[in-house]
Amino acid sequence: MTQAFQNRRLGLLASALVLGFAGLGARLYDVQVVRHATLQEKADDLHDEAIIREPRRGDIRDGRGNLLATSRPVLTVAADPTLVGSNSLAVARALAPLLQWDAVRLADRLRVRTYLDRAGQTQAYHYVVLRRKVRLEDWPAIQQAMSHLELGGEKRRLSTAEKVFRQNLRAKAVFAEPDYLRVYPGQGLAAHVIGYVGTREAEAVLDDPAPVRKRILETYGRDGIERTFNGELAGVRGWRLTEVDRQKRELVAFREEDVAPRAGLNVVLTLDATLQHVVETELAKAMLEHSPASASAIVVRPRTGEILALATLPGFDLNDPGRAPLAALRNRVITDMWEPGSTFKVVTVSAALNEHVVTLDDRFDCKHGYFFFAGQPLHDHERFGVLSVAEIIARSSNIGAAQVGIRMGPALLYRYIRNFGFGDPTGIRLPGEVRGLVRPVSDWSKISIARIPMGQGIAVTPLQMVMAMAAIANGGYLMAPMLVDRLEDENGAVVARNQPLVVRRVVSEAAARQMVAALKLVVSTNGTALKARLEHYTVAGKTGTAQEVVNGAYSHTDFFSSFIGFFPADAPELCISVVLDAPRHGYYGGQVAAPVFRNIAERAANYLNIRPEAPGSGGLAANQRGGRLTGAASD
Amino acid sequence: MARNRRNQSAAIRFGPALKALLFCLFFGGSGVGYVWQKQQIYELSRERKQCEVQLDDLRRQSHQYAAQLAILTTAQELDARVKQLNLGLGPPQPDQVLQLVEAAPTPGAAGVRPVQQLVAFRSGLRAAR
Repeated sequence: MTQAFQNRRLGLLASALVLGFAGLGARLYDVQVVRHATLQEKADDLHDEAIIREPRRGDIRDGRGNLLATSRPVLTVAADPTLVGSNSLAVARALAPLLQWDAVRLADRLRVRTYLDRAGQTQAYHYVVLRRKVRLEDWPAIQQAMSHLELGGEKRRLSTAEKVFRQNLRAKAVFAEPDYLRVYPGQGLAAHVIGYVGTREAEAVLDDPAPVRKRILETYGRDGIERTFNGELAGVRGWRLTEVDRQKRELVAFREEDVAPRAGLNVVLTLDATLQHVVETELAKAMLEHSPASASAIVVRPRTGEILALATLPGFDLNDPGRAPLAALRNRVITDMWEPGSTFKVVTVSAALNEHVVTLDDRFDCKHGYFFFAGQPLHDHERFGVLSVAEIIARSSNIGAAQVGIRMGPALLYRYIRNFGFGDPTGIRLPGEVRGLVRPVSDWSKISIARIPMGQGIAVTPLQMVMAMAAIANGGYLMAPMLVDRLEDENGAVVARNQPLVVRRVVSEAAARQMVAALKLVVSTNGTALKARLEHYTVAGKTGTAQEVVNGAYSHTDFFSSFIGFFPADAPELCISVVLDAPRHGYYGGQVAAPVFRNIAERAANYLNIRPEAPGSGGLAANQRGGRLTGAASD
Repeated sequence: MARNRRNQSAAIRFGPALKALLFCLFFGGSGVGYVWQKQQIYELSRERKQCEVQLDDLRRQSHQYAAQLAILTTAQELDARVKQLNLGLGPPQPDQVLQLVEAAPTPGAAGVRPVQQLVAFRSGLRAAR
């Protein structure tokens, strides 16, 4: 009896155990086999972490290594709304003054929001950005504000769960992630060359082991060198595949992949920051004195085509480009084209000298300031009689230049215009360069051959014009403008170096030398640019005063006033172009642009330690010796 | 017939006891060693993480100081400081610059060194005074 009872109990126990184990087995099968994939994914989501490691954007430096653009470490302050819970207003009140945000909007941002995941289940967002580009020194204050957060009800007895919740809220609800802020130490210095950056949303995909997609905020160049060299500056992203614990702390021992980001390359420009500052301060003075719509200047080394300074005013602060009007963002040196006026006579006459169509001593009757050609009158700013070719340049006679052009003929003139680089982009590594406007000979009207030689009926950029002048200074070789000297890695090792590039020979050395002799006369008591002369150097240059086209007609009030010159004339170190758009107090190039040239040239020569010419061989005396002149000129 | 256990020899059987002890020591030691090793891995990974964070901080500071230095050494900033401190500094004028012309080497003057040239120049200056 007892035995049977015991056996029954034993049987029941055994059955229960069997059933229990069978149940466990079934559960095991369900978990490990049937729902394996789903649960594995869930588990991976909980402890696997894929981290995108952003590279540091490369610096932009000037030729002497001064920083023009750099990336400063900052923080992105973010929050996990699920840890904030119903305390969003309290958190917002504590953080709003530190993040410089409205408390109500901040509280709204901290509210828990949900979304439907791929399985159709409701999930809460665990990440919202509160503020980007927060300075490192501001972060301790934010941390302190969170750790001393007043939540109320502290005096009453809190449950363990509530204590943990409050602890997590204070310690982990608001966190910071490393980021970079693009900083321009010079503020507006070389703004149009350096350019600026913007941010855009992008998606980074990690393929291994399973595709992981991450939305990131990407910094990219929007203008200038920042844009042209975005690929080199941006660097290469790294990544880290790792595991985290329940509190989202990384378990370093479980890292699967850890690839460090590769910092962007540093772009070293040919610009010289000090020279750029000199140019910009002199242009600013000219803006105050003459109130033009804009003022631009370029400093080029003729032998190599290196651009040492390139400035346009009005400019803007690179650290806050959004505040600048759109017109100020334009790099007028390459995006604007204008009729060059008298500076273009340099092209006409040097072409004619090269072709032996004229010599410097050939004389032309300038018809006392009134020349009738193809039914249209042509005027000079003075009533000149017979002038030599050298005098045509020195006194800037339109009629004389027109006659030289007529003698050359359209085909020859057009060929030289194109050879000097007009009608084509110079290839400078900046966005937005225009090619200018050079019509083919078939589109020329009858008067074109009289207008184009004096710089009308053709449109060029200031950069094209200064490179053409630099070609004369360089013995007839046209150089490509060079703005980037080299690319360096973060340790300063040179990755790539640019070499000066000869585009072509445009005129012979003899023709260039003759042209220089004529250009020296421009900066003499009888030339148009006495105000451009330097005490210790001989200057060669040309003034330009071009009427602007307003509503389809030449304006009598708005002019492009310019001076392009180089020095020392016989061994040029620098070629400088100054252009003022619609100056209000004075408008002749020799009056408004030449003094700016002189100021820039004097300071640049001093700074670059350009050897002064021997006493008696430079300055005004040398300019005067260039030729025999009488009378006065004003263009 | 088997002997009653009470009547068995009281002598301790060391062999099996030692075996059991070694067995226990082995498994216990393995367990403790495993935990110790895990703890070491955890500690090392924690230290590594700390070092990484520290290195990142130092890099960040270095970049920050570089940016600050760049701002302080811009031409605008230096110009402003010169004006603010009323230092009266300016670029030297060409007539304030002494140009030393290097003479082309001649057979007779092969041994003349720049220092000697400078001494000769200074003595010339004194003579002129």
